Amino acid sequence: MQLAVNIVVLSAIYALIACGYVLIYRVSRVLNLAHGELMMLGAYLLLATAASFAGNPVAAIAAAVVLSLAVGILVYVFLMRKMTGEMVLAAVLTTVALGTLLRGLMVLIWSAQQQYPGQALGFDNPAIALPGGGRISTFAAILVVTTALVYTGLFVFLRFGRWGVRMRAAGQNPLLAAQRGINLHAVYALAWGLSTLTGSMAGMLIALDSGLTSSMTVIGLKAFPAALVGGLDSLVGALVGALIIGAAEVLSIQYVDPLLSDVVPFLVLIAMLIVRPWGLFGTREELDRV
Amino acid sequence: MSRGTPRASGYFRTDYAQDLALTQTRLERASLLAFAVILAAFPFLATAFYLDLACQVFLAAIGALSLMLLTGYAGQISLGHAGLLAAGAFTAGILFREFNAPFWVTLPAAAAVGALLGIVFGLPSLRLRGLYLAVSTLALHFVVVYLGGEYESKRGYSTGIMIDAPTIGGYAITNGRVWYFVLLVAAVATLLICINLLRSRTGRAWRAIRAHETVAEALGINIAAYKLLAFVISSAMAAVAGALFAYYRHFVSVEAFSLFLSIQYVAMIIVGGMGSLLGALLGAVFVTLFPYLIEAALQQLPNAQSYAGVLFAVNYAAFGAVMILFLLFEPLGLVGIWHRVQHYFLLWPFKHRPVAGAGK
Amino acid sequence: MSEPALLTVEKLEVVYHRTITAVQGISLSVRKGQIVAILGTNGAGKSTTLRAISGFLGIDDARVTDGSVTFNGRRIENRQPNEITRFGIALVPERDKVFPNLTVIENLTAPFAPSHYNRRDSEDLAYQFFPRLAELRSRTAGLLSGGERQMLALASALVCRPELLLVDELSLGLAPVIVQDLMARLVQIRHELGTTIVIVEQSAAAALSVADYGYVLENGRVVLDGEGARLRAHGDIQEFYLGQTSGSDRRSYRSVKQYRRSRRWYG
Repeated sequence: MQLAVNIVVLSAIYALIACGYVLIYRVSRVLNLAHGELMMLGAYLLLATAASFAGNPVAAIAAAVVLSLAVGILVYVFLMRKMTGEMVLAAVLTTVALGTLLRGLMVLIWSAQQQYPGQALGFDNPAIALPGGGRISTFAAILVVTTALVYTGLFVFLRFGRWGVRMRAAGQNPLLAAQRGINLHAVYALAWGLSTLTGSMAGMLIALDSGLTSSMTVIGLKAFPAALVGGLDSLVGALVGALIIGAAEVLSIQYVDPLLSDVVPFLVLIAMLIVRPWGLFGTREELDRV
Repeated sequence: MSRGTPRASGYFRTDYAQDLALTQTRLERASLLAFAVILAAFPFLATAFYLDLACQVFLAAIGALSLMLLTGYAGQISLGHAGLLAAGAFTAGILFREFNAPFWVTLPAAAAVGALLGIVFGLPSLRLRGLYLAVSTLALHFVVVYLGGEYESKRGYSTGIMIDAPTIGGYAITNGRVWYFVLLVAAVATLLICINLLRSRTGRAWRAIRAHETVAEALGINIAAYKLLAFVISSAMAAVAGALFAYYRHFVSVEAFSLFLSIQYVAMIIVGGMGSLLGALLGAVFVTLFPYLIEAALQQLPNAQSYAGVLFAVNYAAFGAVMILFLLFEPLGLVGIWHRVQHYFLLWPFKHRPVAGAGK
Repeated sequence: MSEPALLTVEKLEVVYHRTITAVQGISLSVRKGQIVAILGTNGAGKSTTLRAISGFLGIDDARVTDGSVTFNGRRIENRQPNEITRFGIALVPERDKVFPNLTVIENLTAPFAPSHYNRRDSEDLAYQFFPRLAELRSRTAGLLSGGERQMLALASALVCRPELLLVDELSLGLAPVIVQDLMARLVQIRHELGTTIVIVEQSAAAALSVADYGYVLENGRVVLDGEGARLRAHGDIQEFYLGQTSGSDRRSYRSVKQYRRSRRWYG
């Protein structure tokens, strides 16, 4: 039972992070390899707001959430916008460089020490006993619920929201979208904002659950195979992919070798690239786009 | 398209020997000679610190040249170059530790392992392109590094594998100057191999594949074979560079082969300028010297000591920033800048070359 | 001729990749409420002209190097496509003319209509001219037939309430019956909405059946222009574009002279 709980929690983590990759890729065909660092930035923002709003955890969280949305939009407006229209690979390398820059800046501003935003906000993290014998920490449970809510929200927005439809349109045919009056820069900025928002939420919840360490960027990078296995432009795929990767990782730690945990997602990734590069739910034509 | 150095006025090559020669004009020959003299005299004029810097540059140059062949010429993106360096280093380390193998066994073995891994890294390129290919190389990098880590922990070398200096006929290469020349020769040899490869049918096939794969295939070029060849050659070179690196440092450990190292090599070919061997060299110099420049710059600041502990963070931040600047404003890299400077002087007082088809 | 033209193209020159001059000095003018046809074979520069007007040259590394495009008194050459859309020009491109994974309704509501129109208005407008689309509301656009897709493309352009509608190769890949039907809708659109329409066509018969005015392009130049009726009756047009040979099968000297005279087009 505990195994199942672990799988669900890890999958929820990966899913919440993976939807960020999917959002940006689906809309602008850019792979945001700085997502892990942006995730961590979100957690640090929570730390910062916890200090500013001492004694008012709700305000701190709200402020951190709003800030991370702003960060995403600003990253697009001031950096990625200039790479729109260039080769996708150049844009991806720009995100890699951004990630490196952020990593350095975060250590410089906040030091490389492990931090505990949960303590700063005055939160406890008691374990909840589940029927069947498993245990789950409070924040892990909150994370699972958050992932479910986020995905539901995104599904509804993309399917029925006016701007959601525009985002999907821009992803399919940017030229036509521009010609029909859709402001591509606005759509891309929105995608970056939402992506950073969901990533930051993941970062904050992970930090509240088990602390803020530099390993968070590794988690961010491990969630990328989840996005790709499901199909880089499919939200449903990200969910399914996260489940697969989460299960693979937990099971291999349990039954094979604990050291495998960091490499299993990539093994699954390689297997998927060999068998079905566009992922389980991705659109096939994505393959030839460079 | 005019390649490489623009020349002020027409000059003609009248026989094949002239065409094949490395240098074309007297000026080029003279500057090459002067450069060779400087390179030869350097170790006798420099301190140990600068000697070490130069050796690092040579090692980086071999790695950068191999990546330039793969990405800049054959057009196959690879984000996993550090994995190949690691493979070479670990081959040397493992063979030394387990079998006490001498360097003239480990180096070829490293090349062989690199070539084999090159096939593995290269297989995805037969089905994937661009982003997906880059991602597959990234994944393979993690796998290789993981295997290295597994070996370390299973054999108890948690801090890394120590390697003795290579010996030739009883003489151990430990002297900085001797290393300098050894690595210089290795780098020059790699450069010559690259130049020759690029002039051959293989090089032309690679350029064709990079320019337009479908057309290349339609022209009868066996794309799969040449792509794999690019990966194999590039990986073998990188593995040898990794092995040399292991010998130079007397030490092999997984920590040295992080994702950041892969990014550094990609930065080398971007900052240097894609599609040019000179770019690989310039990029290698730039990226290798960069952390030292940052450190020197930090020393100038009033609060120098406080930054000592976070030097690596400053490095990361500065590196990311510089890479962004190059990607945004100078996508053609240092070579692009160099060409612009050349053009300026060659075309002065005119500003632009005449446009093809100008005038009606 | 007292009112100024809605769209004027003057001595337009478009260069691809800084080396190939695809359009060499084209001048045309479109008055409000006209249907103007631009005819020519492949490579004549028709689509390039349309792209120059709608701002899509940058995609193919092409630039307007000389001449001007003026719309409603405003110079629009080398401007961004979304700016040009806001000025009131909508383009129905040759390829990729719909959003394939969106439904028909979503295709109609994604574009930006002027603010005082809502979703319902856009749908009604589309169904007014293309009632077939009402039956296909929930169908995914990629699964539509060629003719239905073209209808959807036209409808989604109309939703933007453009003053000027540009249609690139309407008839490509469609059965003549459907082409005829679509051309009739264009006339209906012009009649009911007052939209000015410019169509670029390889199928001269279809285009000339509805056009008020036409321009014939060859190798990037205008070689003939005139009222629709005059063009339909023109011997050269009939021979080269409408496939009607004049006279008997046996070539007489006079016919050969006709060819020779036509050589001037390629000069």
